Amino acid sequence: MTYKRDPGLPFQKLEEETIVVDPRTREVHLLNDTAARVWELLESSSTLDDLTEALAEEYDATPEAMRAGVEELLGGLRDKGLLVDVAGAA
Amino acid sequence: MDSAPRCQDDAILSPPGEHALVSQLQSMAYERMIPLNVSLELTLKCNIRCLHCYNFDRDTDGPACGSGQVALAAPELSLEEIFRVMGELRAAGTLFLSLTGGEVLSSPHLFPVLDHARELNLAVQMLSNGTLLRPGVAARLASYRNLLGVSISVYGATPEVHDAVTQIRGSWRRTLDGAERLRAQGVAVRLKLIVMRPNVHEVGAMRALCDARGFPYLLDLTVTARHDGSQGSLAMRITEAELEGLYRGPLSDLIPNGNRAVDEAAFPCNCARGNAAISARGDVFPCVSVPWAAGNVRQQPFGEIWRSSPVFERIRGLKVADYPACAPCPDKSFCSRDRGAAYNASGSYTGTDPFVCAAAGVARAVAEEDRATAAPDVQLPLAIAAAR
Repeated sequence: MTYKRDPGLPFQKLEEETIVVDPRTREVHLLNDTAARVWELLESSSTLDDLTEALAEEYDATPEAMRAGVEELLGGLRDKGLLVDVAGAA
Repeated sequence: MDSAPRCQDDAILSPPGEHALVSQLQSMAYERMIPLNVSLELTLKCNIRCLHCYNFDRDTDGPACGSGQVALAAPELSLEEIFRVMGELRAAGTLFLSLTGGEVLSSPHLFPVLDHARELNLAVQMLSNGTLLRPGVAARLASYRNLLGVSISVYGATPEVHDAVTQIRGSWRRTLDGAERLRAQGVAVRLKLIVMRPNVHEVGAMRALCDARGFPYLLDLTVTARHDGSQGSLAMRITEAELEGLYRGPLSDLIPNGNRAVDEAAFPCNCARGNAAISARGDVFPCVSVPWAAGNVRQQPFGEIWRSSPVFERIRGLKVADYPACAPCPDKSFCSRDRGAAYNASGSYTGTDPFVCAAAGVARAVAEEDRATAAPDVQLPLAIAAAR
């Protein structure tokens, strides 16, 4: 699966955190610094492998150590409707 | 985290209680002085001629000479200038952009601005009179994923009363039709009921109208002097006796309960901390209700004004003791502390508006009388508010 953040969603970075607003559900999400970094990377279409690799490099960790956390984070963003599946359905 | 001091202007952007996180974000903005909420006046032009309009007397050709602190004679911001300012807002930390006027739907810039706001990932709220919400317009607005909602002003429960305020026959019907049409497209719509002398006898009916049609609403009891310094709007303001009648009648559930904190942390509002406003001619204000120009975006980038304007630094440094009439006032826990009304009435941010002071006294008297007769302690924060 290849994901990217929903380009129409309002968001803003406030120091470490990023706020994402979903006017449709009227929900506001506060992303911590790691989630905010994933949000940044999702400006471009990315797979779980792309994100894991990028974060492992940035956090000086092995992809194996990062993968489960990134997958969980990605699933959370997807379940909240903040991502679009580039290959098909949102 | 404690909630930041709030005013109704915040509520326009993020309805209180709708999401606990919104309060947390507003507190973050307040504490870190991030202009999270900015109102942008797209135009002063309007297709109706409300008697209470705070911009200028709509029965004249344009604003009076004003106080000299605002750029009344300058042309309105061009689309190119607005785009530049929107970029500056984004860089300064703005997330919630409130588009106001005049009438936003009468501005040719509206849809390009909405497009640009979407590109900049800004959340947009609009304030409108609703009369121009034709089917195609409503559908087009609904297509914006970043549109939080539209607040539509209503001045009466009947066409006769509302249309007498707007001086446009048929406006009540068009406003309500527009509101219904927009809601049917899936856009969040909230009605703003402005209480004034011509409709004071219809306040209960106005609330009932909203309830019957299922619209959420806000009440605003404070008509202020105009931003150009003219005073004609004040003839529309309800009297102290009328306010007391409302608190003893159709607004008995909205009497301030006197629980507003009065300490140093709670006394300031979000002006120049989490809120700012930009006029149609580029003046930067601490909030949409306070036309105290801190700078002009034609002369200085917004971020620079936000960070270093002496006006904003002055507001941020104020202590309770700096409000000479408010500090010793026994009614301040019942008071709306409406800085816009105070500024427009007195010319001073730390001044007072006699109506607001009287309203706090009336609220206290009625609330204490109610308590003495064991009435329930009702928490309703919006009885008197700054926004129009």
